[in-house]
Amino acid sequence: MPFWLIILTIVLPWSGAIIVWSVGDHRPQIQHRLALLFSGLAGLCALLLIPLTSDAAAIRLPFGAAAFGDLTFIPDSLGVLLAVIATVIGSLTVLFSNGYMQGEKSLGRYYALVLLFIGSMVGLVLSGSLFFLFLFWEMTALCSYALIAFHSDNPQAVRGGMTALLITQLGGVGLLAGVLAIYAWLGSFDIPTFLAEGGSLPGPVLAAVGFTFLLAAATKSAQFPFHTWLPGAMEAPTPVSALIHAATMVNAGVYLLVRFYPALAGIPGWTTAVILIGLITALMGSLMALTTYDLKRTLAYSTISQLGVMVVAVGVGGIFASQFHLASHALFKALLFLGAGAVIHQVGTRDMRQMGGLWRTMPLVANCFVIGAAALAGVPLLNGFWSKELILETALHNGYPWVYLTLVLTAGLTAAYAVRMVWWVFVGWRTEQFQLLDPGFQVAQFKGIGEALDPVTDSPAPATVHSGSPHPSPQFPFHAPLVILALGTLLSWLIAGEMGHWLAQTLPFHNLHVLPTLELVAEITLNEATLLALMVTAAGMVIWWWRGRILWVWYWFRPLRQAARHDFGFTWLNDRIVTDVKGFAAAWQLTQTGQLNWNMAGIVMALLVILLIIFNW
Amino acid sequence: MTLLTLIWLPLLAAPLIYLAGRLAGRAREMALLALLAAWVPFGLLVTARGNAAASFTYGAITLQWDGLALLLTLTALGLGTTVTLYSFWQMAAEPGEEKYYAMLTALIGTMIGLGCARDLFNLWLWFEAMAVTSYLLVAFYREQPASLEAGVKYLLQSAAGSVLVLLGIALVLAETGSLDLAPLPPESSFLLRLAGGLFFIGFGVKAALVPLHTWLPDAHAQAPSGISAMLSGVVIMAGLIALLRVLTLLAGDGPIWGWLLLGFAAANITLGNLLALRQTQVKRLLAFSSLAHMGYMLLGLGVAFLLGSRAGAEGSFFHLLSHALLKGAAFLAVGAFLTIFHTFTQDHRPLLISDLAGASHRFPLVALVLSVAVLGLGGLPPLVGFMSKWQILTASFASQNGWIIALVLLAALNSVLSLAYYTPLVNTMYRHKPAAAFAQATALPISMTLPLALLALAILLLGFWPGLVQGIVNNAAGALFP
Repeated sequence: MPFWLIILTIVLPWSGAIIVWSVGDHRPQIQHRLALLFSGLAGLCALLLIPLTSDAAAIRLPFGAAAFGDLTFIPDSLGVLLAVIATVIGSLTVLFSNGYMQGEKSLGRYYALVLLFIGSMVGLVLSGSLFFLFLFWEMTALCSYALIAFHSDNPQAVRGGMTALLITQLGGVGLLAGVLAIYAWLGSFDIPTFLAEGGSLPGPVLAAVGFTFLLAAATKSAQFPFHTWLPGAMEAPTPVSALIHAATMVNAGVYLLVRFYPALAGIPGWTTAVILIGLITALMGSLMALTTYDLKRTLAYSTISQLGVMVVAVGVGGIFASQFHLASHALFKALLFLGAGAVIHQVGTRDMRQMGGLWRTMPLVANCFVIGAAALAGVPLLNGFWSKELILETALHNGYPWVYLTLVLTAGLTAAYAVRMVWWVFVGWRTEQFQLLDPGFQVAQFKGIGEALDPVTDSPAPATVHSGSPHPSPQFPFHAPLVILALGTLLSWLIAGEMGHWLAQTLPFHNLHVLPTLELVAEITLNEATLLALMVTAAGMVIWWWRGRILWVWYWFRPLRQAARHDFGFTWLNDRIVTDVKGFAAAWQLTQTGQLNWNMAGIVMALLVILLIIFNW
Repeated sequence: MTLLTLIWLPLLAAPLIYLAGRLAGRAREMALLALLAAWVPFGLLVTARGNAAASFTYGAITLQWDGLALLLTLTALGLGTTVTLYSFWQMAAEPGEEKYYAMLTALIGTMIGLGCARDLFNLWLWFEAMAVTSYLLVAFYREQPASLEAGVKYLLQSAAGSVLVLLGIALVLAETGSLDLAPLPPESSFLLRLAGGLFFIGFGVKAALVPLHTWLPDAHAQAPSGISAMLSGVVIMAGLIALLRVLTLLAGDGPIWGWLLLGFAAANITLGNLLALRQTQVKRLLAFSSLAHMGYMLLGLGVAFLLGSRAGAEGSFFHLLSHALLKGAAFLAVGAFLTIFHTFTQDHRPLLISDLAGASHRFPLVALVLSVAVLGLGGLPPLVGFMSKWQILTASFASQNGWIIALVLLAALNSVLSLAYYTPLVNTMYRHKPAAAFAQATALPISMTLPLALLALAILLLGFWPGLVQGIVNNAAGALFP
């Protein structure tokens, strides 16, 4: 039974991709329905796998040559959890796309890539073979690139797609090196074999594996210093941002760390490196989210920051906590992105300064969005609260007070930008009037400059990021995914205990520390650590309301804000590397004169060099 | 006899094709018929492998069918048949069409002969015959100065290579008194080493080892697109196989030859990718990428020679097949766009990347094939290029040698870099606003789209099921490393 369910979960979306593409773009309604059908069926198959988890391979087929190993799939709970997230959130985003993508060109390409991605993501998390893990890893990168660059007429989208592809592929080289090292020394691509016998590898080899895997994880999950691709990825259609760049693919890095944690945790310095990368990312991401005006970029920086929190959780040994937060985050961030999509669809811009007051015109979206934002901020009783507190508590309990304190600071910043985002989009005032309420604009006016200046860079506000003209808001199917995700955000923590128990059953190498839901709730609520975190969260939210009175703070942190606004210089660094590589290539191009004399000289010189080498060997 | 039929059928058909073209205007049908007929003896040989039917001896000369010959024949005949069908429409309006088909068929025959050569004399003979037929095809557009320039460069540089090869053969004959391609005893003699160096450079010109590659970008860019596909997919590979045959002669002589292959691998991979990165002309871009792919093959082969193990060679031969499919599909798809573009501009200017804008709307299939081909060349799954590169890298890494591992990482990083020049092609084709040339173009005939679709299918099929050709690449590696 699991054999066929796994096959179906992967092959259904893939065949759907081919079928939807072949239907042709002149029949969009059929394309919408077929995409929904195939993604929905895949979601069903993944859900059916939940009671059938096992730590033994359900599929093991030879693949033709030793260099590829066997095609192996293991339906253990970690894999099935992520497969369920990929397919269920996948079908919800497809359902949302039914409304969002109405009237778009090249629907066949869009749905084909989304479905291809869903199948690949399932393959990635269920794979029991390192080779196929790498294969599916690369396939998700391909789909991600193609969907970011979906609007190929927009140079920003093309640039974003290429940046994402190149950076994640760079991490792919890390994964490749790690996998090849395991194969070269262990002679097997089998993941359980590596988890069981990883300790027998020579120390330097195992360390190399650990750090190359960390490189791969950092690029895929947009961790410091490779986070720059994720904000650029926001050029993708918004349902894609929800699915790939919030709920699923970016989790693959965290998944990689969790999957191989038992084998890698013993490497000297590895957990410290994981914690540091996660912490820097979490803090940096929340600062950047606080300084951007683009709604989708705010969410992207928020994703970067939250992924950092999950990475920290892995580093401090909170495997269950990281997966709990991953699941919570997938729900509330998908909700936030789809809500943002509905807003952007309605107003035709991504600039939050041009929104405001939308609570009155789109109350359902606003309510759902607020639930998501509250979960992100860590408001009690929502799923994000429980999972984040569990991570904080684990960090403190496992002896990392400095990690705890930094995370608490991040939580405060997160609460601040969550409130800022909700305020600007749904509450505040549109453009002209609300300049008075933004301290940044006041600063500009204090300085006697007439025009509205960007409060952080003191440069004129960027031209509006248009995502097409305003659309009338479509009704039902369009909003159903929002409601479902909002319910999930409200209620999913109730099964945290069961989920932990279920996870622990089929992960023999991970030694999960899990409690029933009630005890978990008691442990979190009765902990001083939670109290401090709650206070800081509340402070973060309140600060936004008092921002007019604390202008001096705004001045104090001016350099920090400037740096955050400019991505802490990493985008510049990326551009610099690109320019240098191009310059290097241009220098080599000078050697290609195209003149026959020089070509012949090349042959003669090569002969001389070769003979020199041969006779001096 | 079957072997002789396979080799001579295309060669004898060549003049008949020319006559059929001159007298009845039926050159293309004749060419396709001849190539299809050649699949019959090929099929017989594949099934009768190991029998006496698979060799032919006349006096001191022996032609022998083995795994490597099979690989080269399959690639040459497979891509050749595809190109012939593809050219039906594209070359129909060209003056000298009958010469094109005659030379193309002869080119295929000479490469089959080259694969079966068992002594240095035959090897050189077939190698030269292959060169002669391909010179004329490169300079096919004889009214175009750029095309003639490419032809002259190709001719002169290849001739320089041939002289070195001939010199090497003379040295081997002087030293051993034999021209047989059987491994020599493992003792280092000055003359044999010198011969090895001469072979390396001589065959290296044809195989486009950097810095001997300088003829290649012009030739690939100026030749008719079908010929570009043949040059990149098979002809430079025939040069590589000739080099490998003579290297087995000297393989007993220490690790030097393996390290030289690895050195050229590093040069080809790095320079090929860096130079492709700067190209704006589509065909030149693909030409430089051929250098990089030759480099990946050299990596696997270098490891195989160094360790005497088959695994690296298996990966490289798989990549040879996969590159023929991918680069064949890429050049043919670009050729289709180029024809449309030239019909529009009424001249022979090169096709720039930006000229492909919006091509996908009028020609979704061709655009998809080109996308699949270049993404496969960039090594993305589920395409065959991913599988073959993986096999090379796995075998190389398994050496556990620090230098080779560094080279593997260099190759992998370059593979990432290559995406930076492949993806703009894809992005440009999927723009919404079509370029003027494509806005009013008429549909392409099935004789052109069918070969493209077949190549793309093979790229996908082998991407999902690389086991299909493992038998072939095993045997090819076995021919070098018994």
